[in-house]
Amino acid sequence: MKKESIIFAFAIICILGSATSTYLLSQSQDSNKEELKLQLPKPMFIGTPRNIKTPNLEIVTGKPRGPFFVPKGTKLVSLRRAVTASDRQPVIGEAGFVTDGEKSGEDGYFVELGPGVQWVKIDLQGEYDLSAILVWHYHAQARVYRDVIVQVSDDKDFIKGVTTIFNNDHDNTSGLGIGKDKEYIETNEGRLVDPRGIKARYVRLYSNGNTSNDMNHYVEVEVYGTPAI
Amino acid sequence: MNKTAFRGLFLLVLAGTLLLRLPRLGLRPMHHDEANQAVKFGTLLEKGEYRYDKTEHHGPSLYYLTLPVAWAFSKQTLASLDETTLRLVPAIFGAGIILLLLFFGDGMGRPAVLFSGLLAALSPAMTYFSRFYIQETLFVFFIVGFLGSLWRLAEHPSTGRALASGFFAGMMYATKETSIIIFAAVGGAIVLTIIFRKKTISGRLPLPKIRMIHILWGLAAAAVTAFIFFSSFFKNPKGILDSMIAFKGYFEKGGSAGFHAPPLLYYLTLLAYSKSGAGPAWSEALILGLAIVGGAAAFQKKDRRLLKANAGRAEKPFSSATSAENFFPKFIFFFTVLATAAFSIIPYKTPWNLLPFYIGIILLAGMGAAFIFQSLRKDYLKVIAGLLLAAGLFHLGWQSCRANFQFYADRRNPYAYAETSPDFLQLAKRIDRLAALHPEGRHMLIKVVCGLHQTWPLPWYLRSFDRVGYWQDWPTAGGFERVPLIIADEDQAENLGPLLQDKYQAEYYGLRPDVLLVLFIDRGFWEKYLLDGKK
Repeated sequence: MKKESIIFAFAIICILGSATSTYLLSQSQDSNKEELKLQLPKPMFIGTPRNIKTPNLEIVTGKPRGPFFVPKGTKLVSLRRAVTASDRQPVIGEAGFVTDGEKSGEDGYFVELGPGVQWVKIDLQGEYDLSAILVWHYHAQARVYRDVIVQVSDDKDFIKGVTTIFNNDHDNTSGLGIGKDKEYIETNEGRLVDPRGIKARYVRLYSNGNTSNDMNHYVEVEVYGTPAI
Repeated sequence: MNKTAFRGLFLLVLAGTLLLRLPRLGLRPMHHDEANQAVKFGTLLEKGEYRYDKTEHHGPSLYYLTLPVAWAFSKQTLASLDETTLRLVPAIFGAGIILLLLFFGDGMGRPAVLFSGLLAALSPAMTYFSRFYIQETLFVFFIVGFLGSLWRLAEHPSTGRALASGFFAGMMYATKETSIIIFAAVGGAIVLTIIFRKKTISGRLPLPKIRMIHILWGLAAAAVTAFIFFSSFFKNPKGILDSMIAFKGYFEKGGSAGFHAPPLLYYLTLLAYSKSGAGPAWSEALILGLAIVGGAAAFQKKDRRLLKANAGRAEKPFSSATSAENFFPKFIFFFTVLATAAFSIIPYKTPWNLLPFYIGIILLAGMGAAFIFQSLRKDYLKVIAGLLLAAGLFHLGWQSCRANFQFYADRRNPYAYAETSPDFLQLAKRIDRLAALHPEGRHMLIKVVCGLHQTWPLPWYLRSFDRVGYWQDWPTAGGFERVPLIIADEDQAENLGPLLQDKYQAEYYGLRPDVLLVLFIDRGFWEKYLLDGKK
């Protein structure tokens, strides 16, 4: 009995000890983080898309996205950075719209690239530890953009050192591999992709038309990070 | 302008007409109205069955006139039909409108016929809906035929011309219920033209000598033509009665516009200038402007020399020479004003409903252009006017190309209305590829669970599958076990999602702007599809 009591007390102490240390560790980790403050454009379409609960479509809650924490000192590093696009002559607008800081869903704020698989590439002009990437394709309508793929690299040609951080091309139409991320409906909140601190200078985003037409659009892309050490 | 030059130029206009109407007819996804007409035609093609539906679908002419085209391309079943075959029908009738303008040679003069032909050939509204499998272009064709044969009857009354007028009137009625608006506008225009006909020194110009027998022949021809079509070639005599009962429903629909309730000046604004955000600007203001000139020219006072000449003619019976100068332009002016006003007042508005009065505007514009050239005395002024007009015509043609080959299903195109998204073709393609892998092929079961407004144009795109079921609510659709494909609108998918769980792969597809469909694919079947793609 005495022996059992000792074991029980020891187990309790272990559990409490590990819980306390986990809490203290997480506190020290959180103290290095802060909430990412975003300026969202005003919503453009009335009504919330239906919440279709399936394994490969993103749940639409109609509520604001929860807070997202990034390392302290994280800054928007893509503002007015050079953008190149696979479509050299966009149908509407220009590649520079992607990083011009204008996120309004109204006409006149997006660049329209031609049909099929197209990409835009942002040169951050330096290496950064990336903590968040936000993309607004077009949020004036309930649309889904197809085969959204986000890659980062320190090679401007994306030949070596390429990391795919988001891919919802579930049937490999784009030929960059099958993605397991979910299809989602565009809203004014944009799509937040977590690069998990990966170090890179270039960010490339792919898409392959959308559910309204076969064109590709970008209102804005925001890349957040801290200078790479 | 001599006859040879006119013939040559007219043939060029006709060639231009075909150039904008025939290429790439299958490019645009089927609009839900087109799909609806196509499936109804399919029943006529396969089973020889057609019954006028007094609640929907308009008149029977479109279906019966599609038969020869389908037969010419050896199409015997709905499944064998394609967009190009169906859209050839309005395209042919759209080009036919230009040919029928020859009826008006005496009324408006050869230059005005050429200008009207050019404007009709290049107008984005006319070209866009000449490639659209609905009744409107056929309706305009029969309107022009009716106006033309009525005009010829007024010039030289004869039984043949009375029968032709009646035939076209009957075909108008057998095409669209809105024909009564056109009949009313024509009647009103005749009365106003008589009241406002030109005065000469010896009194008002004489009226055409149409005898009662001609009117009776015309009415009989109209009645027989309408009866033949509405009775499904004598198989359903009740159809003609239904065509009259149908007006009750159409009056209600026209009066309560619902979500089709644009403002009073919707049509004229759309034609004058349209621009959606950063999209391109669209304008047919050239035609509207020339029509104003044409309308004003219809009422211009002749100089004394002409007045004297007319005075001599006034003693003679109604003749083409006097009528051309005095009756025809006024008649077209009054017809256009009345028809435009009537269609604008009706709360129910869709872009294609502007065509029946727009053809009047185009005729006036043709006369306006001819008037400008006839009025200019100095050659250099004629050259400047010619260059300006050529630039305007080029602009119209360029917009037509844009409307039909670039923005054909884009909300930035003012003529595209509740258009089916090009993405919908991806859904059709996906289903075709999946069917090719399924052991049952095109016999595989597909369940469509969509609200009424989200169902079309699915029946057209699934026409070659023989086990497709349609439900509006998921609880009524029976079980979903082992169903390879389920197509649902967002409302239904919200309930189906938890039910199907991870047994299905789900994909979004665009139906129309802001309207999405979800395709659920059996998970095992999907894995097989992916594996096949890797081979």
